[in-house]
Amino acid sequence: MEALGFRDETADRSATAAQNTLQLIAFSIGEQIYGVEITTVREIRAWNGATPLPNTREYVRGVINLRGTIVPIFDLRARFGDGQTSATKNHVVVVMSVGDKWVGILVDAVSDILTVSREDIHQVPESNSIDTELLNGIVTHDSRMVGLIDLHAVVRGARTDA
Amino acid sequence: MSDLDDFKATYFDECSELLNELEEQFATIEAGDRSSERLNAVFRAIHSVKGGAGAFGFSELVAFAHAYETLLDRVRDGKIVLSPDVTKLCIRSNDIVADFVNAARSGEALPSDYGSEEKARFNALCSGDDDGGEPIEEFDIDFTPVMVNLDKGDDDAPAEVNMDAFAAPPLADATTWEIRFRPHSELYARANDPQLLVRELATLGELTVKPVFDAVPPLADFEPFGVYCAWELTVVSPSVTEAAIREVFEFVEGNCDLKIVQLTHAAPEPEESIAPTPSFADLMPEAPALELMPGADEPAPSFADLADSVVAATPPKQPAIPIRTEPMTPKAPAATEAAPASESEGERRNGIQSIRVDLDKVDRVVNMVGELVITQSMLTQQMDETLRVRYQELVRGLEVLAQTTRGLQDSVMAIRAQPVKSVFSRMPRLVRELAQKTAKKIRLETIGENTEIDKTVIEQLSDPLTHMIRNSADHGIESPEKRLAAGKSETGVIRLSAEQAGGNILIIVEDDGGGINREKVVQVARARGVVGPDEILTEEQIDQLIFAPGFSTADSVSDISGRGVGMDVVLSNIKKIGGSVHVRSWTGRGTRMTLRLPLTLAVLDVMLVRVAQNPYVVPLSSIVETMQCSRASFERVPSGGKVLQVRGEYVQVIDLCDRFEMATTVDEKSRFVVLCEAEGSMRVALIVDDIIGQQQVVIKSLEENFESIEGIAGGTILGDGNVALIVDVQGLKSTRLRRNAA
Repeated sequence: MEALGFRDETADRSATAAQNTLQLIAFSIGEQIYGVEITTVREIRAWNGATPLPNTREYVRGVINLRGTIVPIFDLRARFGDGQTSATKNHVVVVMSVGDKWVGILVDAVSDILTVSREDIHQVPESNSIDTELLNGIVTHDSRMVGLIDLHAVVRGARTDA
Repeated sequence: MSDLDDFKATYFDECSELLNELEEQFATIEAGDRSSERLNAVFRAIHSVKGGAGAFGFSELVAFAHAYETLLDRVRDGKIVLSPDVTKLCIRSNDIVADFVNAARSGEALPSDYGSEEKARFNALCSGDDDGGEPIEEFDIDFTPVMVNLDKGDDDAPAEVNMDAFAAPPLADATTWEIRFRPHSELYARANDPQLLVRELATLGELTVKPVFDAVPPLADFEPFGVYCAWELTVVSPSVTEAAIREVFEFVEGNCDLKIVQLTHAAPEPEESIAPTPSFADLMPEAPALELMPGADEPAPSFADLADSVVAATPPKQPAIPIRTEPMTPKAPAATEAAPASESEGERRNGIQSIRVDLDKVDRVVNMVGELVITQSMLTQQMDETLRVRYQELVRGLEVLAQTTRGLQDSVMAIRAQPVKSVFSRMPRLVRELAQKTAKKIRLETIGENTEIDKTVIEQLSDPLTHMIRNSADHGIESPEKRLAAGKSETGVIRLSAEQAGGNILIIVEDDGGGINREKVVQVARARGVVGPDEILTEEQIDQLIFAPGFSTADSVSDISGRGVGMDVVLSNIKKIGGSVHVRSWTGRGTRMTLRLPLTLAVLDVMLVRVAQNPYVVPLSSIVETMQCSRASFERVPSGGKVLQVRGEYVQVIDLCDRFEMATTVDEKSRFVVLCEAEGSMRVALIVDDIIGQQQVVIKSLEENFESIEGIAGGTILGDGNVALIVDVQGLKSTRLRRNAA
């Protein structure tokens, strides 16, 4: 699986990684690239369906069984307001820890591991409320924009009655 | 976590056990049991709390415990009578010690003068009996060297000690052994300590020790490392043998002169021995006697004791002062009774072999066993008839596996089971405080506190019980005047009981107060829209209303004299652990609240159903019956909703597809009704697409990684690895109540 390839590379780089650099796992939703800090990622697995949760927002795809623990899955595309992903076996769930909880986010594909300098992180322009709400910052990699996902914001307020 | 933190955690664990024990001991003491064993247990507990507190530097706790201990010590010595007043002070002090311990645990600061009032009373009590002078210091827990006030000369205090010493006559048919023990210098050179040997002997029976100084040379010939002291020891015990005594000296054999003689007769009457009292001052320059004090690390030389030993030595072969392995009570009969009791107590303590295990570890085992049970039942389900015929060995193996897993499950659950005592023992304090606050007289009775329940259930029990008892005390029990006017006894009774009933544990809180004021409950319920204006409720339904969420906000309910404060907490906590609450009230005669709890939280029997292609499970315990929709008789109500008629009763219908906002593809006629019992006798009919079957599941929390969802009690993992959600029947019903109320 892809994840295995990452691991070797990660080991090499982490040896040289200085304090002020940040390693990101980059994944794509459509054309857009997003990233989360690599240390928060616990596992990457293929989409294999989820049990829907009633009375939750549409971006909560449901819950899966991760070795005996129930983990909720958030559809990142739907979270950005672009409608639910029509998920297939080729879609990917990135399991991450947010605070003391484990959550999965559904994305189209995991693309790369990026090493960026903390100094290169830009603020999110105040253009759209959902951008500033869900992104921590923006970095440029290979002249492409990578949005840094604020996981806490993604997970917040998932119940319809909340 | 550092080592110190580990030790601290262990200390606090022990403290809570000790405090529980205190609570227990005082319950018996209050009930009139004044045996010395009780006091000793109390003393031990406080002493242990103090000891640990000292090690961790909780100085306020140490100071308070110390003062308390001093008081207890005097009570133990019979210098202070354990009057109801003193008992009350002690019980209050236990609470204060508990507060100090809690403060130390949480790091919160208590007011600096906390407990000072009680401390002052300790001192007042202790100094009140102090006419005897300093000799009391002999028992001081600080292990300071013992002092005798020489100015007082023939102070009567030593005589008092004397009385104590002889108060316990040797047991009637006891055998007396006399041991002459003269250590050689080699014994000391090999780092042996006679004190340890004497302590060892003291475990064999009642021991008296008398030093022999006949070999002490004139000072000029005194060698620094010379050994001049010998002892005559007397052991009185019905069962001890020469071999047992020899065994004590096994390691010093050859390094001492040892002579063991069996004496046929026990010592004569104590009165005779008191008569010749030699001049106290004459004895003083002599070498110290050997005495063991309870809890003391160093034997403190005591002139008072020396006086005793010489008194005793005057008539030949008389026991000198008994070594106090167990503190004596001043009255002889009590002491003889107490002695065997304390022995068996000691044996019991030694007999219990236990280890302290981190609860997390046990939980992991419980969880894994839970999974194992599920996997095993899944395997069994996979065996269809053809497989059964073809693989008979496999089938047999599976049967054995099933048995073993059941056995394993039972044993593991037994590890985590705990007597409800640990929760019950917190309640007497609560009741005392409530009685004080409300100026009522309340007595708490507890029954069946040894009933065992899973630890996880017990943890969830504390809050609900607190609320229930608070309600009983606050709203149930009337003021003394009212009670007298109603022809009841002045003191109200709250009875807390636990019993096992089948696969459930029943916890009942009962009071003999005024009962629920139904009129006012209905009035408030109607005002808040919990009950429709035209709804006619039975008495039982009204009683049940006090649990309705949104019904019990502080304002509205403190106005009524009925119950309500925090009762939704009771319901939600109990519901969370798969239990139920039932309340029954008799006007003017009292109220009974019954908690029905599952024995374990690990495994739940459920019915697996399908709702719009998704698996859901309904706890089997709440299901009354199931039927096909085509056979059920639905009726329309004006709101557009449906009700189900079951044997003349109309039941609210909840279509799970609608409630969960999912579309069903199943034809209306071929769907199913699952009739469930919510709290009390309120029923609700759930409509599901299909019924798949029954099975056991392990409850998994949704909140662990997500948050709670209304109408869902949790999740579980099915045999195929998929997640199924557990329907929260009561939750679905209360959603309706809340929506109506809003």
